[in-house]
Amino acid sequence: MHLTAGVTARSSPQQPAADDAIIVADDISRAFNGSMAVNEISFEVRRGTILGVVGPSGSGKTTTVRMLTGTLARTGGEIRVLGEDPAKFSRRARGRIAYMPQLFSLYEDLSAQENVGFVAALYGIGPWRRRRLIRRALEVVDLYDARHRLARDLSGGMQRRLELACALVHGPDVLFVDEPTAGIDPMLRQSIWDELRALRNEGRTLLVTTQYVSEAEYCDRVALIVDGELVALDEPEVLRQMVFGGDVLQIDTTRAADPDMLASVRGVTRVRQTAPRQLFVTVDDAGSLTPQIIDALRQAGVEVAGIEEHQPTFDEVFTGLVEQRRAARGPRDEARGRPEPAR
Amino acid sequence: MSPAVRSIGQSIVRMGSFTGKELREVIRRPGVLVSLILGPFVIMFIFGLGYSGYREPFATEIVLPPDSGFPTEPDYYASLAPGRLDVRGVTDDRDDAEQRLRDGTIDLLIIAPENAAAELRAGRQSTIRVAWNQIDPVYDQLAGLATSILVSSLNAEIIEQAAAEGISFAEAELEPDVPSVPPEVIARPTTAATENVAPTDPAVLNFFGPAVFALVLQHLAVTLTALSMVRERLSGQMDRFRVAPVTSMELLIGKYIAYAVLSLGVTAIVGLLLVGVLGVPLLGGWLVFVGIVLLLTFASLGVGLLISLVADSERQAVQLSMLVLLASVFFSGFVLPVSDFAEWTQYLAYALPVTHGIATLQEHMLRGVVSSTWMLWVLLGIGAVLYLGSLIRLRRVLKSAD
Repeated sequence: MHLTAGVTARSSPQQPAADDAIIVADDISRAFNGSMAVNEISFEVRRGTILGVVGPSGSGKTTTVRMLTGTLARTGGEIRVLGEDPAKFSRRARGRIAYMPQLFSLYEDLSAQENVGFVAALYGIGPWRRRRLIRRALEVVDLYDARHRLARDLSGGMQRRLELACALVHGPDVLFVDEPTAGIDPMLRQSIWDELRALRNEGRTLLVTTQYVSEAEYCDRVALIVDGELVALDEPEVLRQMVFGGDVLQIDTTRAADPDMLASVRGVTRVRQTAPRQLFVTVDDAGSLTPQIIDALRQAGVEVAGIEEHQPTFDEVFTGLVEQRRAARGPRDEARGRPEPAR
Repeated sequence: MSPAVRSIGQSIVRMGSFTGKELREVIRRPGVLVSLILGPFVIMFIFGLGYSGYREPFATEIVLPPDSGFPTEPDYYASLAPGRLDVRGVTDDRDDAEQRLRDGTIDLLIIAPENAAAELRAGRQSTIRVAWNQIDPVYDQLAGLATSILVSSLNAEIIEQAAAEGISFAEAELEPDVPSVPPEVIARPTTAATENVAPTDPAVLNFFGPAVFALVLQHLAVTLTALSMVRERLSGQMDRFRVAPVTSMELLIGKYIAYAVLSLGVTAIVGLLLVGVLGVPLLGGWLVFVGIVLLLTFASLGVGLLISLVADSERQAVQLSMLVLLASVFFSGFVLPVSDFAEWTQYLAYALPVTHGIATLQEHMLRGVVSSTWMLWVLLGIGAVLYLGSLIRLRRVLKSAD
């Protein structure tokens, strides 16, 4: 699916398209037994940015990541990562890539340090350099003190961080991180995202999947995938505005207000009454229109008790995007998945 | 409903949950079911069809002194112990025949007394010397049994001949000493002096020690490799390997080295226990011993890899490893000699690394030499073919998941 809004312009996917497009997916598809798991998705990820791939369980996020890493063959489209086709990655390209799988796949009978060391050795890092890199990777994820503990004795959150340390140990330029926060408590999720953003700040490129839509705000750009199709792709704030058609004002009044009172105000695109004395008003520009709205209500005999700009949550944003898509496609999609709200 | 009855009911429900879960798990893994039911059946079927129960007669040579008076036709001696002796020849060159016995060309050597008639005239039993070269305690006993039958038949033959020829025979042979011949000499004109010329005592422990060792080594390598690769596949590690700049050859060789080290560790421990504690002889050198162990490990790892490529779960990998063990116990010569099976079954036996491991380790430890060097080449061949097959398959798996 090609998006008309929010898609970065790019050149041919045969080359590292733009000067800093590290990951380029062009109409990529994957079918399983005739059913499309991923259907003609296109996007780019620029150097030093995080692309968050958000969507409900089973929407095609992991399939997309696996195609991008070359661990799953695609049935259509073109992919370039670091300028190479993942199906034919050179050793050099592989050495610059890291993949953190969705499931814990490390060795339970090895210690945290040994697991990281094993992965470092897979990248050909010799014993002396390895020691230093293992230490650094474990320190980044705050596991250095637990380095001698067996992986099976680590908590679920620590195991995810250990996976991340394994992905980081060889200093990759590009990281594919599949559901790093799945099943993890909110505090730890925040700390994992802090680590991912720190990596981004070091100039690394990350593609991170998550089913928690609230985590979209940590990303530079967000791709919403539903039922294997790309529903939206842009910066989080742009998506927020895209859904609601502008800024949203939450207005509390001293007595019941009629939404039609504001219909005549230019720049007001939508008025929604959520309670007798509460209105949600969508406007082109909250800063300039707020005084006019207050005046219009006063003229109708309604005093404003409070007014503030409402920041819709990403749960609301993505629910809105999915609903918009379903409305555009018709009722056949009604029964299909919704993004999972933040827990 | 009383609390006790309810508690029993709930307990039954809980037990039922496990029963249902286990049955569903097994049924939904058709591979496990197939190996569970078909595997042992196929092995027993092959065993039933392939085991002939026919034990080859001992390859025998007769040494007759030039004027011993004994018949010179090989068939005559074969008929004395029907089905037990395959008389390959009659010769008067004892040294050559003894050499052939030592180098394993023949199994049994019968040396007739030089002066049988004179001994009989003197009222003494003649002694037939019978030698064999067996490290297998079962064959040792069978050789003794064949010798007893041979001598009994020979005595019976002489007595029968005497009875047929009557007094004229006795007069001709024994005159004038007939009265002085003791009755036991008349009853048993000949007796046997037996000797096993094998360099080690054919004790049960000596013989089966190397066999158990080979079997353990193969089972260890097969099971560990099969489980290890299946785990890598099922845990998702393969995706990590696909992304990392690691090749299938590096992966395989790394694993081979690990299991070679493990095998050497096991070899060191079990070898010391066998030789140092249990007293099993090691006539050959340690270096060749380690070489055989490494070859056996190499070939067994290939079998483990083969299992790991066809098994769809750890459970099935264990199942298939146990089937290999079962087949090894039946067909490898561990219990029954490979030669007891039909020829086509012997091909199956020789496809098992342990068959060659048992034979060569027994030879090396108990004889000090490996005469069947072709078995070492076969071990190398099995290992190389399975390694290459696994390498090709793994390369395909690592390239990209379908």
